[in-house]
Amino acid sequence: MKVRFRTSGRTLGSLLRTRAALGLRPAMAPVMIFLPLGMVLGPAGTRIIGTDALAHLDVVISIVLATLGVFIGIAAGTQRSAGRLAAASTLEAAITVLVVGGATYLLLRSWGMPSLVPHALVALVLGLCASASAAAAVGEGDERTRRIAARVADLDDVMPIVVGGGVLASIAAGETPALAAAGLSIGLGAAIAVSGWLLFERAEGAERDVFVLGTLALLGGSAAYLDTSPLLAGLSAGMLWARAPGQTEHVVATHLRKVQHPLVVLLLVTAGASLQPTLAGIWLFAPYVVSRTAGKLIGGWAASRVTSGVAPSDLGAYLIPPGVIGIAFALNILQVAPDGAIPIVFAVSAGAVVSELLALIVTPGPPDPTPV
Amino acid sequence: MRRLLALALTIGVVWFVVGGAGIVRPAPRVTALALGFSLIAAALTGALLERFHLPRVTGYLLFGMLCGPYVLNIITRPMARELQLINGLAVVLIAFIAGLEMNIERLRPRLRAMLQLGSISMLGLYAGLFAAFWIGWPWLGFDEAFTTIQKTAIVAILTAVVASYSPTVTIALIAESRASGPLSELTLAVVILADLILILAFTLVMQFVRYAFGGTGDVGLLVSLSWEIFGSFAFGATVGALFALYLRYVGREVAVALVAVCAIIAGLGSQLHIEPLLAALAAGLVVENIAPPRGDMLKQAVERGALPVLVVFFAAAGASLQLDALALIGWIAIVVSALRMALIWIFMRAGAAYARIAPPIGRMVWMGMVSQAGVTLGLTLIVAGEYPTWGTMVQTLVVSLIALHQLIGPVLFRAALARAGEIGRMDATSA
Repeated sequence: MKVRFRTSGRTLGSLLRTRAALGLRPAMAPVMIFLPLGMVLGPAGTRIIGTDALAHLDVVISIVLATLGVFIGIAAGTQRSAGRLAAASTLEAAITVLVVGGATYLLLRSWGMPSLVPHALVALVLGLCASASAAAAVGEGDERTRRIAARVADLDDVMPIVVGGGVLASIAAGETPALAAAGLSIGLGAAIAVSGWLLFERAEGAERDVFVLGTLALLGGSAAYLDTSPLLAGLSAGMLWARAPGQTEHVVATHLRKVQHPLVVLLLVTAGASLQPTLAGIWLFAPYVVSRTAGKLIGGWAASRVTSGVAPSDLGAYLIPPGVIGIAFALNILQVAPDGAIPIVFAVSAGAVVSELLALIVTPGPPDPTPV
Repeated sequence: MRRLLALALTIGVVWFVVGGAGIVRPAPRVTALALGFSLIAAALTGALLERFHLPRVTGYLLFGMLCGPYVLNIITRPMARELQLINGLAVVLIAFIAGLEMNIERLRPRLRAMLQLGSISMLGLYAGLFAAFWIGWPWLGFDEAFTTIQKTAIVAILTAVVASYSPTVTIALIAESRASGPLSELTLAVVILADLILILAFTLVMQFVRYAFGGTGDVGLLVSLSWEIFGSFAFGATVGALFALYLRYVGREVAVALVAVCAIIAGLGSQLHIEPLLAALAAGLVVENIAPPRGDMLKQAVERGALPVLVVFFAAAGASLQLDALALIGWIAIVVSALRMALIWIFMRAGAAYARIAPPIGRMVWMGMVSQAGVTLGLTLIVAGEYPTWGTMVQTLVVSLIALHQLIGPVLFRAALARAGEIGRMDATSA
């Protein structure tokens, strides 16, 4: 049973390492294909995806965000014996947040750049987006270092999502305080997860599909309705399913595996279509890439010190590929602050493309096959 | 017990979110919530009703009605409106499934009988309703003074709309109950034939109405009518052929491709002024009769893709049932509904006798003709939009009839399918 749980957790984790999830070659990260494609199709390009279509896609994005949260929740929840790795991942993510957030804040202050969102929140959001990473996909035969890096990449998304739940509420400027909003997301996620747990195992075939799809829509929809984080609601549900008795986690994992490709493509195309190259976004983009790379390298080194003998000292180099979570979080911010978040989405998305290119140079590749 | 608990929890969560927030959200913000709530809670209600030998579709409708704006208001008006977005896709998917179920080779021996039954029953129903509305005019609530020609026009349009059936509900019930057999095939063929006649009759009668009320009428009537019918079939057949090629040479992510095909038909259909239902039917017919896919991949994709769409479609229909209209002219609606059912019963039996359809099926086929839904509503909206004074009265009456027939029709048809022993036979046939 344990083996099965770990396998599904790892398979879900592979979504976050999206190259493998989409069956693409290492040089063709989906971010590099579908973000530009979205931009070409979107209002800034050919307008095939117009503003009306984007408004409709906004609905789907809430569900996609909740689904990504569930992916991460299950991946994190199934790694039960990963206490030190979890600590290392959190430390690595926190250092990245500090480096990127600190650098951005200092630059924004010194430039005196006008912004609809307070500078501190912009800096924090960029830090959180930067802290997510997606190491390359691994198999049973891969070297240990790569497998460790992949697990750290799975776990380093948890902290930004939790903190992001509060940040989102602060930006949304609703009546609910940030901490209460994060708590509300977690509570809603847990309540909906219990409902799913009661339903999934005993349903079959198309009816089970309906329940899984309905639960994901409910997770995303209730969070969107309350201006709280669908990612956090999904994370909460995923973690609960991973630890609940029975096979709920396995059922959900099996279903999500079927939709992972369209979800990633949809998210990236929507992000691409939402891109508006503003002066602020262009100014933020280069420092974002540089500080993110620095943050990952420093954070990876620090994490390797915490887990001495477990994680390699060049861990950070494996964590350069950003994956989709950072972009997902930026889109979530765009939902609650449609005008203020435009530079953030641009900086994070363009930064993701460049980081993927950078990863081709910086990230150590798999060892050459032994000559026969 | 677990399901009841899950249903209570789901309703509780949504009630907390919608009621607790105390704010009205703009449309896109409520869609995902409405979608998730409908999928889970309506599916559970449908499954619950199935235990009492009632159609799941009725469960979805009842859920929508109870949780909708007129009763509990958990599905608020904006949420109900947003759920309607799926209607276009649902109608297309349902018609596509109907096309897949119609194998011409298998139907050929009974085609003549089907045409005879359809023609006689429709003719009788139209004549009977026209006479009844003409005689019952003083009680229908039209206060204005009309000339004889205007009165004839109104009665004719009312007849065309009230006589309509619901291919959507019929197909949905057959798909949902996995029914297969002579009754399913006969009912399906008659409702589709009736839908073609309805489009024809409605277009012609609307021209007459425009003439009667001083309009000029449309010079390109025949052109637009031909385009609506033949253009729909041609467009649908092309899309169906392309989809068949996809199934043969790609054959991956079939469920996603199926939904995409339906979205294309629904989206382009409105822009090209074609009838999406006919286009999707043609697409399904082409796939089934010209290029049937190998293996079960399409069947599985249809099964997986259809249920969520059906659940949301009927939950949305339930939430949008205008119960206030029924309350307003309840007695008139009940009388007209009873009259319509009686006429359907009489002329279906007469048609079945003429076409020499064996008694058990011939006696029960009327039970599949009672439902009315989206097509009927769409036609009344056209009338009310063009003639707001008396058209609104037609709309109120028809909306009330839909509310009644949505609830009665599926129950009757499922009972007929059960008595004919056809429920669940689709799986046995394909196995």
